[in-house]
Amino acid sequence: MNCKSSKRKNTPLHAVTWVAFTFLLIQGCTQVWWWSNESIPGTLRFDAQLEWNAESTVLGDVTIDHLGHSIRLDNVQMYISEMELRSESGDWAPIGDVALIDFSVLNPRILAPVPAGVYDAVRFGMGLPPEINSDMDPASYANDHPLSVAGSAGMFWTWSSGYVFVKYEGKFAGEAGDPLLEPLSYHCGTDSSYRTVTLEFAEPVYIQSRQLTVYELVFDAAKALVGETDSIDVVTDPVTHNGSGTTLGGRLMNLMDDAWTLRQ
Amino acid sequence: MIASRPQFRPIPQLTGFLWALALICLTSCDRCQDPGCVGADCNPEATPYLLEIPPFFPPMDIPADNLLTVEGVHLGHLLFWEKSLSEDGSISCGSCHLPEHGFSDPSPYSTGITGAQGIRNAMAIINIGWASSYFWDGRAATLEEQILEPVAHPDEMALPWPQAVARLQANSEAPGYPQLFLEAFGTTTITAELTSKAIAQFLRTLISADSKFDQWRRGETSLSDDEFAGYEIFLREGGDPETTPGGQFGGDCFHCHGEAGLQFSDYLFRNNGLDGSFGADAGRAGVTGMPLDSGRFKTPTLRNITLTAPYMHDGRFITLEEVLDHYNSGGVPSTTIDPFMKYTTGGLALNPVQKTQLLAFLETLTDTSFIAASQFQDPH
Ligand code: HEC
Ligand code: HEC
Repeated sequence: MNCKSSKRKNTPLHAVTWVAFTFLLIQGCTQVWWWSNESIPGTLRFDAQLEWNAESTVLGDVTIDHLGHSIRLDNVQMYISEMELRSESGDWAPIGDVALIDFSVLNPRILAPVPAGVYDAVRFGMGLPPEINSDMDPASYANDHPLSVAGSAGMFWTWSSGYVFVKYEGKFAGEAGDPLLEPLSYHCGTDSSYRTVTLEFAEPVYIQSRQLTVYELVFDAAKALVGETDSIDVVTDPVTHNGSGTTLGGRLMNLMDDAWTLRQ
Repeated sequence: MIASRPQFRPIPQLTGFLWALALICLTSCDRCQDPGCVGADCNPEATPYLLEIPPFFPPMDIPADNLLTVEGVHLGHLLFWEKSLSEDGSISCGSCHLPEHGFSDPSPYSTGITGAQGIRNAMAIINIGWASSYFWDGRAATLEEQILEPVAHPDEMALPWPQAVARLQANSEAPGYPQLFLEAFGTTTITAELTSKAIAQFLRTLISADSKFDQWRRGETSLSDDEFAGYEIFLREGGDPETTPGGQFGGDCFHCHGEAGLQFSDYLFRNNGLDGSFGADAGRAGVTGMPLDSGRFKTPTLRNITLTAPYMHDGRFITLEEVLDHYNSGGVPSTTIDPFMKYTTGGLALNPVQKTQLLAFLETLTDTSFIAASQFQDPH
């Protein structure tokens, strides 16, 4: 045995292997050694904030809409997907695939590792792109994934229609002063209501290696009901459970496209 | 419009580093060879229990410090049925969670050893390993934590844990708990935590996935016309479209008792319109203190629902017909009633035929092999 193994040690092939291995090892080590700061990502965190007409609000607050109705939002949840940052060169760099923002959770936020660099805009999809929306089985995801049975927190619709993209639920009063008892229930979804939101940073953002950069991603829930070209009356349109085309769900998605702002 | 989505890219330099790290880990970490045993309380000799996850079910999250072993599940089975865990030795967990009733109690309020009754119906224990909180109000975050409560609760088994542990410790004859704890957890020193860990292991094996509906879903049988019509009602938006926006003459049940992962529960807290005010039981609000949570309770699974009467957190409905009448009425308005309930538009408007079909569907969720399984029955 000994003899055999020492014989094998001395073969030229073996020497070559060793040289190659040592080279690779040194190469590997120097790579690690010279690992420049630029290649280590920084972290960008978006803290989701809920507002009503530019005022901070929380679920359960009673607010007044553009038509004077009292409204209480009890649940606002939405999928954010395909988040990308625009670098100075104008290229979009993907930074995350899907997150569920749930305003009933304390401090909803999105965390993304981002290559160090300078960025001037962020864009993301409101909802889910078709390839991860319909015909997906939530049971195929790990339980902490936002599309899993548990992680989707009630946002899974049915096998064929996929996930609810946005839930906007609460109660309203038809007449001012009445108790808030009328149900408000907007569930927007289906592939055709996927929308892309693009937001420019007020100043270019410098993401540094290993550093945490925090922005507020503000959703103004009042703007879901009124915008420049459309408005919704909760009394005549209190419920939608779909989102295709020009239906109420599609209109809501269009309005919500303009409900976002960034703040440092 | 929609760009194809690259996943997070690995950093190339990291690969070499990770390889090195893996090598170091492999050579230095003896835990790596023993993934079944984490933390102080484990017996490396115990046999890992292979839990079969049924088709269409999500993965089950099991705490790393309480992985299932054959010995642990066996011990948990004995403890679940152990009457000496109650003060006067008269009841066990199984006295209120009866297998033939889907591990729930046929009386609205369970009676503890003192004859005292709580204010809530004993919950069915079905596929509990997939739940994300425990009790009607979700006050326990883990199964291990939940199990500590009934033993010491004065209205239930009323035995302080130090005494419970002393009893198990002193048990030298059959079943011989100190030896069984040794086999499951590598120690003869019994504690409340280890007792609850063993019971939790057993509860995670209470899996029901062989109802007619499951068999149909797996393509092994077909549903009758009524059953299938009932399933469609279950999945359709509720209400008459004339009066209820988006209505499809359905039952709207899927919104809360969702079929994702075939759980028939979203495991969220909801007010399904039983009461107008919540003085008797504030439900989830009793845990969170939030007014929005008043009258909200954990959505129960509908699996084995024909076996788990009476229904709702206080067992107020004796039959499923009464339950359907409740939903058909739209429910009682209140500040927190769920917007899915059709309380402003005259209810679901299901006709008698549709109700019969919905019932026929609910009956397909009964799994007789689950309730009859010998490995769950009283072993003492
Ligand atoms: C006296 C009757 C009684 C006994 C004995 C009893 N339970 Fe329960 N169990 C209940 C009631 C009632 C509830 C619901 C209580 C609540 O929500 O406040 C419950 C709830 C539960 C739940 C929560 C299920 C869910 O879906 O969240 C589990 C798990 C459970 N019990 C396990 C046990 C175990 C294990 C034991 C033995 C250690 C036990 N129970 C003993 C009556 C009992
Ligand atoms: C708004 C959400 C919601 C909807 C919609 C809903 N349920 Fe429920 N269901 C619940 C909640 C929450 C409970 C427990 C309530 C309680 O005990 O306070 C429950 C309880 C039940 C129970 C009793 C379960 C038990 O173990 O006691 C049955 C049966 C039931 N629902 C069937 C249905 C059917 C059938 C439909 C459709 C017609 C339906 N539910 C629609 C949320 C809902």
